[in-house]
Amino acid sequence: MRTPRILMIDDDVPLTQTVRINLEDTGRYEVRVENNPRNALATAREFQPDLVLLDVVMPELDGGDVSALLRSDPKLAKVPIIMVTALVSNQETGQDASIGSGGQIMVAKPIHFEKLVLVIESVLSKAQ
Amino acid sequence: MNPSHESNEKPREGLFEPPDKSLRILCIEDSDGDYALLREHLRDAAFQVAPELVRAVSLQNAVSLIEESGRTPSFDLILLDLSLPDSHGPETLDHVNNVAHRVPVIILSGNEDHDLAVKMVQRGAQDYLPKHFLSGDLLLRSILYALERHRSRLEMSALNERLSKATHDLKTAQMHLIQVEKLDSLGRLAAGVAHEVKNPLATLQMGVDYFKRREDQLDESGLMMVKYMQEAIISADGIISGMVDYSRSDALELKLQSPNIVVRRALSMIRHEIIKHNVRVESDLTLPIQDVSIDEGKIAQVLINVLMNGIQAMVGAGVEPILHIKTLFGKIEAIDRDLGLREYDRIRVQDMAVVIEVRDEGPGVPQDKMNRLFEPFYTTKPTGEGTGLGLSVAKNIVDLHRGHFQISNVENPRGFRVRIFLKARQSTGASEALSPELALTVEALNETESKPHIP
Repeated sequence: MRTPRILMIDDDVPLTQTVRINLEDTGRYEVRVENNPRNALATAREFQPDLVLLDVVMPELDGGDVSALLRSDPKLAKVPIIMVTALVSNQETGQDASIGSGGQIMVAKPIHFEKLVLVIESVLSKAQ
Repeated sequence: MNPSHESNEKPREGLFEPPDKSLRILCIEDSDGDYALLREHLRDAAFQVAPELVRAVSLQNAVSLIEESGRTPSFDLILLDLSLPDSHGPETLDHVNNVAHRVPVIILSGNEDHDLAVKMVQRGAQDYLPKHFLSGDLLLRSILYALERHRSRLEMSALNERLSKATHDLKTAQMHLIQVEKLDSLGRLAAGVAHEVKNPLATLQMGVDYFKRREDQLDESGLMMVKYMQEAIISADGIISGMVDYSRSDALELKLQSPNIVVRRALSMIRHEIIKHNVRVESDLTLPIQDVSIDEGKIAQVLINVLMNGIQAMVGAGVEPILHIKTLFGKIEAIDRDLGLREYDRIRVQDMAVVIEVRDEGPGVPQDKMNRLFEPFYTTKPTGEGTGLGLSVAKNIVDLHRGHFQISNVENPRGFRVRIFLKARQSTGASEALSPELALTVEALNETESKPHIP
């Protein structure tokens, strides 16, 4: 089995870089970062991720738009997406992940890295 | 001087109607001659029913008669001579006015002093009649005008009272609106700020997590720094989350639920704190109460906040932590008008209400701080231990349920009490037969209460 590929789409450069370093630090994932939501689809087509970490509030295209774009591509339609958002609080997600009204998995910023990994692992295992 | 006093014309019909009941007139006049003359004039006056005349020969005598009259007002009118054996001059009127509230007074004077006449009217006399001008017609006219002017004055003062009450109510409502508007703007600002702050916080968290995994490479100072950075992130996130909750709490997911179940759920969610601080929980959730339409999660959040405040207050004061929790069901008998909340769909008098009551045995909150407890970012806790958002968020949530969030210090045992009033469905009679209808009173928020309104 190949190393799971994670694509993080978020316009916040420091956040994406620190998440990338932490994820790579585990030695369990191959990580790609995309800070421009306009390039999200192209990057995803090229990278073919197993999982997408997607910000909600971004300039020009928001998380919902990007999610729809990814879903429109047959090869990406089934890739699980975890919404990483500042729009919900950790109180609401119970310091863990929650299912949004549209069925998406939501995690609140700031999330502890260990908890993010738990959510990622859980989503990846279900996707297999 | 009113020229009509000098006229001998009969009062025009229809201008005023002489009263058809006997007027009770107190005449304060020490001179027997003047009194006899006055009685003659009154007899001449065309009263429909002859007035009942009572005479006082001194101020003291008058005061006794007024006080002993046993009626309100004591007399319909007072005719007053300013020169009495025990009182002289304008002060005589003041003395009389002090005793005989709301009784019109006509001054009878031996001399025609225009300045004095004006002064006496300014001091509250209805008229000033020189004795040598007196006639039956003039007396009748003066008395009837005096009664009418006096009646108008009383009406005006009643209207004034209503006006000032209305102004007060308006002011209260305005203050409330300003507060709502202020909080609303704050909410919108908070939401924006919260979102912008969470991203950098998330970055910091990732950094801290990175170093935590390398703890073996850090010296003692490095470890301490990571620990403090972690605490700072959690604290900042708490504040920010509170702001987000505060600004977004307008969306309620309402469904019928038993308040008792919500209370139990909230208690289970803070089980850890209850055990940690060895808190005794005295709950009475036995009363069969109506299900109410609530957002269960939000009301649980309110309860957790209230329960945690109680625990922290008692632990902070070093007293044995005991929490009393009960639910009640009853009819609202009174709502303090100073609450300034009269929106049409809010709980009103005669509505059925469910009350969730949480009482601690802590030191309570100083009276001067009570009013500020609902201000966002106001906290009585040491810096770093409270965001000051909890109670304002809690009240906001209860307000959104159209209920009342009431706080008060209580005695026996001393403590702080929170009552959450939630609107129940209207009483249907039969289904409520199990639940005793208790008289509930929603008081102003800052009242200390010594005797409970709910048994």
